[in-house]
Formats: sequence, C-alpha cells, structure tokens
Amino acid sequence: MKRLRVLLVDDEIMIREGFKRLFDWEAHDCEVVGEAADGMEALAKIDTLRPDIAIMDINIPIMNGLKVIQLARIKHPDTAFVIVSGYDDFSYCREALRLQITDYILKPVNYEEFGTCIDNLKIALFQRRIPARENQQEERTIEGITRYLQEHLAEEISLSVLAEEFHLSGQYISQLFKSEIGVNFLAYLTNIRMENAKKLLLSTSLSVADISERSGYGDYRVFTKVFKKAEGVTPSQYRRDFLEEAKNFRD
Amino acid sequence: MLRMEIALFLVLAFVAYIYFSAEKRYTGLHRTFSVLLVVVLLHLVFDGITVYTVNHLDTVPRLLNDLFHRLFIGTMILVFYLFYQYIAILVDEETGKLRRLDRAARIYLVIAELGDMLLPIHYAVTPSGNYSDGIHVTFCYLSVAFYFLLGTGLLIVNWKQMETKKRMAIGIVSLVELIVTTLQGFHHTWLISGMGITLITLAFYLILENPDILRAELVEQKMSMLYLKSQVNPHFLYNTLDTIRIQAQINGDRKVADLLMRLVDFFRLSVKVDRPMVSLDDEMELLEAYMELMCYRYPELTCEYDIDPELGGALVPNFILQPIVENSLLHGLKNKGYRGNVTILARKAGENRMEICVRDTGSGFAEGKKAAVDELLRDYAKQAPKLEGNSIGILNVQKRIKLLCGREYGLSYTENETGGVTAHILLPLEEEIK
Repeated sequence: MKRLRVLLVDDEIMIREGFKRLFDWEAHDCEVVGEAADGMEALAKIDTLRPDIAIMDINIPIMNGLKVIQLARIKHPDTAFVIVSGYDDFSYCREALRLQITDYILKPVNYEEFGTCIDNLKIALFQRRIPARENQQEERTIEGITRYLQEHLAEEISLSVLAEEFHLSGQYISQLFKSEIGVNFLAYLTNIRMENAKKLLLSTSLSVADISERSGYGDYRVFTKVFKKAEGVTPSQYRRDFLEEAKNFRD
Repeated sequence: MLRMEIALFLVLAFVAYIYFSAEKRYTGLHRTFSVLLVVVLLHLVFDGITVYTVNHLDTVPRLLNDLFHRLFIGTMILVFYLFYQYIAILVDEETGKLRRLDRAARIYLVIAELGDMLLPIHYAVTPSGNYSDGIHVTFCYLSVAFYFLLGTGLLIVNWKQMETKKRMAIGIVSLVELIVTTLQGFHHTWLISGMGITLITLAFYLILENPDILRAELVEQKMSMLYLKSQVNPHFLYNTLDTIRIQAQINGDRKVADLLMRLVDFFRLSVKVDRPMVSLDDEMELLEAYMELMCYRYPELTCEYDIDPELGGALVPNFILQPIVENSLLHGLKNKGYRGNVTILARKAGENRMEICVRDTGSGFAEGKKAAVDELLRDYAKQAPKLEGNSIGILNVQKRIKLLCGREYGLSYTENETGGVTAHILLPLEEEIK
C-alpha cells in the first residue's frame, strides 16, 4: 500500500491549516503534497502534483470546485475527489453525484471523523483494484476474507472468528488489512456494514430495527449512533432525504 | 374679523396638539415645523389682538397699539423666515445641496426685525375699517417678498430633483403666499394675512407632516434597522465560528473547539426553521446541541434520551422541544443549582398518536403554580399574545400544537412522585412520506 498523495483546495487558509495540522495524515498513510486557494490554482496543481486525492471546497474563487473536478477528470481519471461543502449547499450534491465524486463531507469538518472518509476512500480504491489482479496467493486471501465478511456481516464477526475460519492468526489478518487496503479491520467491517444498511434503507421498507439487525447491530441505538457518525444523519433521516430527493426529481 | 382669527387659532392649536402627540423622528425638518407651529400660533394671537386694537384706536393707548402691532409684524416676518427655512431644509434633504442662502436669510431676518421695531407706524382710518400703512407696512411686504423669492427660487432651481409630493407642497405654499399677499396688497382692510399663514402651515402639515406619514417614516426606519440586523448572513456567522474553532483546535484547545462545533450546529439547525413541521430526528438534533452546551456550562446537569427509533421520521411542530426543556431548566433545575437530570422520552401512545415527555428532577411547582400553569394551558386561546415573560415559551408551544395538529393534542404538566415535573406533549403520529 503506497502512501496516498493529497491536495487541499479551499480559499480559506484556516480551513487548509486545520486539515493539514489537525488530521493525522501519517497514521492514515497519507501526505499532503500541496494546497490551492482557487479553481485555477487547483487545476494547475492537479496537473503538476498528480495527487491521489483532492479535497475540494466547492465555493472557491475564479472557478468553482465542481467545474475543476469536471475538467480534471478528463486528464486524471484516477484522482479521487472529496467534496467539502457547507450544510446548505445540498443542491450541489446532485451534480456532485453526477460527477461521481468519491465522497463528500460537510462543514464544519470534524477531523477525527475525517479518518472514516479516508478509510472509505481506501476501501473504494481497493475494490476498484480487485478485478485487476488475480494470480497472487496473497490477494486471494484478502479477497476471500472480504467476501466472507460480505456474506456474514449480519453475524457477530471478530478477528478471532476470521482467524478460526481461515486458519491464520488474528494478528496476521489485521496486518493484511493494513497492508492490502490501508485500513484496520474494524474500519473495513463498519464500512461494509454501513454500505449494506444504506442499500437496505433505500431499496426496502424494512424498519430501522430490522435493518440494524441485518447489518450486524443487535442494538439499534448503537447502530443509529454509528450510522450518524458515518453519514451525518440518522438512518431514518437518510431514507427520508433520499425519498424526498427522488420525489423532487420526479416533479 | 376677530372671529376668523380665533377660528384659525383653534384649528391650528388642534393641529399642533395632534402633531406634538404623534410619535416621530427628530430631524431638522420636523424640528423646524414644530417651531413654525408655535410661532404661527403666537402670531395668530397677536393678529387677533391687533385686529381689535387697530379698530379701537381711540380707546386703546397708542403705545400698546404700537407694541402689539410690532409684535404682530415681528412674528409674521419670523413665520415667513421659517417657511423659507422649512423649504430650504426640504430641498436640502432631497438634493443634498448646501444651503448657501441661509446666511443671507438670517442676516435679512435681523434687519427685518430691527426695521419692525424701529420704523414708525402709521394707521389709516377708513369707514370700512382701520389698517396700518406707510413705511412700516411696506417694509413688511418687502420681507415677505424676499423670503417668497428665496423659497420659490429654490423650488425652480431644484425642480427636477424634487419628489412630486414635496414639489407640490412648495408649489401650493408659494401660490397661496402670492395670492394672499396680492389680495392683501390691494384690499388693505381685508386683513387676511393670518388666513394665508394658516393655509400655508396646513398645506405643509397635510402634505408632509401629518402623523400617518410620520409614523410610516418611523416604522420604515425601525424596519430597516431590524432588516439590517437580521441580514447578518448566517453563513458569515458560522463560517467565522468555524474558523475560530479550527484555530482553537490548532492551539490545542480541544474543549473550546468541541463547544464551538456544537454552537455552530445549534445555529445552523435553528436557522433552518423554515417549515412549520419537521421530523422528530431534526427536532432532537437541535435539542441535543442545545443540551450539550447547557450540560457543559453546568457540569452537574445531565440529560438522557429514550426515543423510539421508529418515531424518528414522525412529524412534530418545529421548535417545540427546546422551549419546553429550557422551561424545565429555568423553573425547575435552576432552583437546585442546575444539579439534576432531564430525560426526554418519545413513544407511541395508541394507534396513531405519540407522546413526548420531558421529565426533570427540579424543584417542582411552587404552591399554586401548578393550577396557574394548567389554567394557562387550558385557556391558551384567551391569553393575549405576549412578547416576554415566563410562560411565553410554553404558551407559544401550546398554541402552535393546537393550530398545527388539532385541538385534541397539546401540552400538559404533571408532578413526579419523586420530585420535579414532567411535560407531556401529545401529538398525532404522521409520517413525512407515506
């Protein structure tokens, strides 16, 4: 797992400083390689620095963040974009989805929770890589484990359960996650559980308690808390926002 | 003729009463008009007296006659000076031009008043009535003409820049002034100057100074202040708070950073109040931000939530929980030094109803207070709308629930066996999207 190169784009220096100094990039195997304060500068830096991740404010001078993403995508299709947006610019989000940005976070940015966002990025990059390599023994192990997790996420899973299942030591599996995907086991598990819950929230009319159970959380209170931390809204809000958005779209 | 002066005086006294009791701004223009009203009233008094004395030359001593005459003419010149001054301020307000003629007007005022006091007075006696003539009166006409020319001059020069209403006021005034003085000039015994002055004053009053217009001006000014206040862009507010938060965190002050984060949340959520009904989740989010800040301020205050997750999407009137909780804090827990607990429960109460309870471990109701609150909440409709006071919060919540959800729902209080009170909010169970 190579170190991820990050470009910070925001017109406010304090926001960039906050990202630079308050988030533990080292611990997440990332490094900030540059900053930009406006759209043109961002575009130029993406060209010269070739970052893996660009963290972008939308409302920036000269050229807005979405336009930058649109233009940068043409030359650098592999760059992942994370949009940082104010709470009230939800209208941007539809367009953001159209541009297939990798993730978005809301201001005010909580730097501790930003780690989840980076983890999600790494997991997304990992899943994008899977079809590309098939022959090596190591990959098959991690793929096997992730497939197993996907199939058993409603059950109680821990490193020791995996260790028993795959006849490997828990520590080894833990290291495997860190080296292959770049995130720890628990972050990965939470991520796929949340993805599963989101899918169920949007595609079924199951109750939150049911979905909580099917996503591996016996206590809906814990589930709601974890979900809110990951998505910024409660599960029922998430479902409602989507239905409302869909309704607006139809109208 | 004396009767006319008395009538004019009464009319203007009435106008002055209304004018001075009206709420208004204190601008140069309104101040000038106030002075004008007083001087005109004074002038009408002397006018009346003079009308009497000039026709009783043989009974009233010459000295007294002269004195009142000089006072009559003196105040008249002052009135015309004030007319001019009023027009000048009006034009000034409209065009922003400097009033360059003020000095000339003032110098002339001194000259005119001196002339009025010193020039000899001569009385003409005719069968149809007596009047004064000679150099004193000619001088008076000159003064009126002087201020008339200054005023009309200002109007003509600034014609294009003036608002129609003000143009009209000055125009009418000039016309009245011209006609009345001309008539008076030809028919010395008519003694209609008092009428002319009253008409002019009334014209200003009716067009520019009546209480409705003054009030509208005042309201407009207050509104624009409010507007400006409320126009502080909320984005500016929380973006700035966020910048401060990041700086605090960079400085290593985690606690301050966290509190600012919650404050930003609270502001952001309370700015979102644009819908009458919101989901319980949204309402809880605002309440949690509020409670977290309060619990930080009072470390011995604790808060618990027990919300049925299935109710997360239920619709509740916007901003009902925070006032209730605030009420519990201020009237229950404050008396205990903010030591205690607030528990918020939400559960289904029957097939299509839900109940939200706010239970506190505060000091409970004081003697007789329970009955007063019960009555307040029962007779919510009879309560006059209040803008402040203790029960404004709960009364407002009660009114909105009854209005938005129906009369069978609402807020009530019970006393806990273990101390403190519980607020019960009964609401219909409606989902946002069916």
